[in-house]
Amino acid sequence: MKIRLILFLYFFLSQTFVFAQSILSGAVLDEKSKPLPGVNVYIKGSFDGGSSDSNGAFRFETSESGKQMLIFSMLGFESQELEVELSGSELKLPSLQLREEFNELNTVTISAGAMEASDEKKSVILRPLDIVTTPSANGDIIGAFQTLPGTSTVGNDGRLFVRGGDASEVGIYIDGLKVANSYGTTAANVPTRNRFNPNLFKGTFFSTGGYSAEYGQALSSALAMNTKDVAARSQGDLSVLSVGAGYSHTLASDKQSISLSGNILDLAPYQSLVKQNFEWERAPHGWDLELAAQSKLKKGGLLKVLARTEAGAMELWQAMPGIDGKGVLVNLKNSYSYAQTNWRKAYEQGWTLFAGASYSHNRDQVSYDSVAVDRRNDLSHFKFTAVKDFSGRLSAKSGAELFAHSYSEKLVRSELSRSFDDRESYLFTEWDWYLSRKFVLRGGLRGGYSSLAEKSWLDPRASLAYQVSENGTLSLAAGSFHQLPVDNFRVLNPNLQNSQAKHLILNYLLQAEGITFRAETFYKSYEDLVLFEGNPQSPSLLQNGGEGYAKGFDVFFRDRKSLKNTDYWITYSFVDSKRSYHQYVTQVQPDFAPKHNFSVVVKHFVSSLKSQIGASFSFNDGYAYTNPNLSGEMNSKTQAYQNLSLSWSYLPKPNLIIHGAVTNVLGADNIFGYTYTARPDEVGHYASLPIQQSAPRFIVLGVFLTLSKDKNANMLNNL
Amino acid sequence: MKKLSTTLALAFAFIFSAFCSDPAYENAMKKQVNAMKTIRTLEESQAVTNAFLRIAEAKPEEWLPLYYAAYLQTTAAFRFDVSKDQYLDQAMALVEKAEKIAVDNSEITAMKGYVVMGKISIDPASRGQSMSPQAMQLFGKAINLDRENPRALMLMSQMEQGMARFFGSGPEKACGLARNALDLYAKEETKVGEDYILPTWGKGQAEQVAGACK
Repeated sequence: MKIRLILFLYFFLSQTFVFAQSILSGAVLDEKSKPLPGVNVYIKGSFDGGSSDSNGAFRFETSESGKQMLIFSMLGFESQELEVELSGSELKLPSLQLREEFNELNTVTISAGAMEASDEKKSVILRPLDIVTTPSANGDIIGAFQTLPGTSTVGNDGRLFVRGGDASEVGIYIDGLKVANSYGTTAANVPTRNRFNPNLFKGTFFSTGGYSAEYGQALSSALAMNTKDVAARSQGDLSVLSVGAGYSHTLASDKQSISLSGNILDLAPYQSLVKQNFEWERAPHGWDLELAAQSKLKKGGLLKVLARTEAGAMELWQAMPGIDGKGVLVNLKNSYSYAQTNWRKAYEQGWTLFAGASYSHNRDQVSYDSVAVDRRNDLSHFKFTAVKDFSGRLSAKSGAELFAHSYSEKLVRSELSRSFDDRESYLFTEWDWYLSRKFVLRGGLRGGYSSLAEKSWLDPRASLAYQVSENGTLSLAAGSFHQLPVDNFRVLNPNLQNSQAKHLILNYLLQAEGITFRAETFYKSYEDLVLFEGNPQSPSLLQNGGEGYAKGFDVFFRDRKSLKNTDYWITYSFVDSKRSYHQYVTQVQPDFAPKHNFSVVVKHFVSSLKSQIGASFSFNDGYAYTNPNLSGEMNSKTQAYQNLSLSWSYLPKPNLIIHGAVTNVLGADNIFGYTYTARPDEVGHYASLPIQQSAPRFIVLGVFLTLSKDKNANMLNNL
Repeated sequence: MKKLSTTLALAFAFIFSAFCSDPAYENAMKKQVNAMKTIRTLEESQAVTNAFLRIAEAKPEEWLPLYYAAYLQTTAAFRFDVSKDQYLDQAMALVEKAEKIAVDNSEITAMKGYVVMGKISIDPASRGQSMSPQAMQLFGKAINLDRENPRALMLMSQMEQGMARFFGSGPEKACGLARNALDLYAKEETKVGEDYILPTWGKGQAEQVAGACK
């Protein structure tokens, strides 16, 4: 009987207990004390809760009781917890403020010196697709970047020249790992291309100064290319061009993918049809093989492998001033291999780790008249970085790097040889501190040591960005940059030390829907540049001691919305650069740094023709050169350079592209400088020859076909 | 003997309760699935999304509330004046959370493809090339995982329709897929009762694709 009573009481009480409803109400505000709608307010571990309305107010009933944890959460905001005591009555809570989380989307980005090509990120200047579709680029990554601010086109070289710096001052990286000899080896005045296919990359980060402490051994610029992640589908890609052909096959599953590609290139058939300015004995030809693999690891993390091997050759006559006939025969053979692997994983508590290793090998066999030289260059790079996000407001990236570098050159007939070996090690750390969503400070430090130079050095760098309006950002960057001289100088004088540059950059970036405007002004100083006696082909008495500066500004405007189906960008860069370097004793304007540089790229999609039509125009005011018939160094300037290029891409089917492009449509007779005889003739005159383009125009035609036989395609046909 | 039977009974009771879903969860889901059908404003959408997120929080072993929250964020990105990329990124984060709970689920895989498709539509000219294969692969996988899933077919038909328009090719593929999807929707409707909380959306979208066919 007693037990029954207890049971009865128990059930009775517990029922009442359950049905005792509490009502919770209150309001949620943002940091500016404005009502915050849409906040999820709920009792931890239960379904009971509500959302704040447009007045920030919430109100809900709950059958929970006693001490409970009340949670306020909203995506993009920092969650808050509040302990409440529920007693079956109405509980009015004081209003509560939520703080917005700091993330990439709502915080300011440092854009001084930086230009990104990406599909995803917000501070984007170019899209990856733009690299392939810029008419003057002919599918070369570097060609597309030559239409961006801060660069100048040097048509007889093809490499990237940034703000009065020479081509060696641009450091090129793939997935953060250094690529040595990333341009194809070429003969003097025959423009080269970057070896890597733009389709390998999902995004590119190009900096014209003031860049992160993660990058060193580059006085002017860092170009960091990031490879694609796991491919979505298996497919074959066939390309047939007027100058070669290639096939690439990709096998993909959920977790991993691998692609293998091969290309052959031969300009001989093309050159037999189109008249050339140069006297070719054997047109440039070559082949390459490439493997890229990506794998998502079981416990998170991504592993990538990239390997490439290629060989190429050419033979041509180089005309000599003052001498009749074909001139000097130059023969060039190149073999190149690059391999790298890297691993990246994000952990809980804000850690991201990266480890990678790369190896570049280059061999050039060059004969110039009767002199034959065999050059080898090997570079290994090991890198480890750790990123820690302490909170949305403070994050740090630190790393360690090791380079093993060996270079040798040999005179083939005399067996004379010289070489050097260098071990470089680096440590770097960089801290980003967001004082608010609109204001960020970045400080970095990079320390290095070279075993050959027997020297260590430190490079401090700092930048900041402040959001001045809804779409406008002002950034400032400053830093110190060291770079060891180029291989063929170091091998002559292993005691050569770092050259040094200091950058100061002020940038304004405006990004609205479909519109980008960017203006930047800079000052860069150079110290300890290499000086020598003689000419660049046979320098002697090499030493550090040259100095100079580059200053100027550039503007960039891109508009993708005003004209229907049309996308265009306009760039103007002004650079005033002078330096004493190489054979120049006084400070002069280098031959690779024209003052006024202008380019326009326009792309228009015509739906009815299923075609994209593109045009690009580049202009600069001419290249400096020394005329020995006049007094002084760099005393003359060539005529202005101009190049109008057109392209047409026709997409009859989603998997077929027919592409044609013509560079220098107008056939402008561009001159890049003059070569002179070493000695004057009997009347005291130095004879000259202009440095010309290899041909007035270059025409390329290609067909690109994608074959996909994956399950989707099959299944689609079976339905 | 008595002890054994008690143990057995308890064991069965335990197994039974483990297999039979939690009625409180079912009720909470039913309420929100119904509420979902009457959403007209961003505020209402947010309130229902939040309710699903609360259920997800309290029942971390269930994928369905996360799935619906992702669905609502995706549709909100296009129905209301919000930052599309931000809403779709949030939807993607929710889908990825759901994926971890239910591996190789056809509905979740299709939803992931839906989010990717939404991302493409914001900037098809530059995102299409890299992301279209990803979306197609996800829809293909979703169809393979469950051949009766009408949403996987419907989404693929939308994707095909978009690509056909972009390239100016014929609508045959999209139309065939949409018609097949409509057959599956009809089949699905016979299963749907009052207690049905699994996804049923998308018939209207399939009709729209099919409607563009002659």
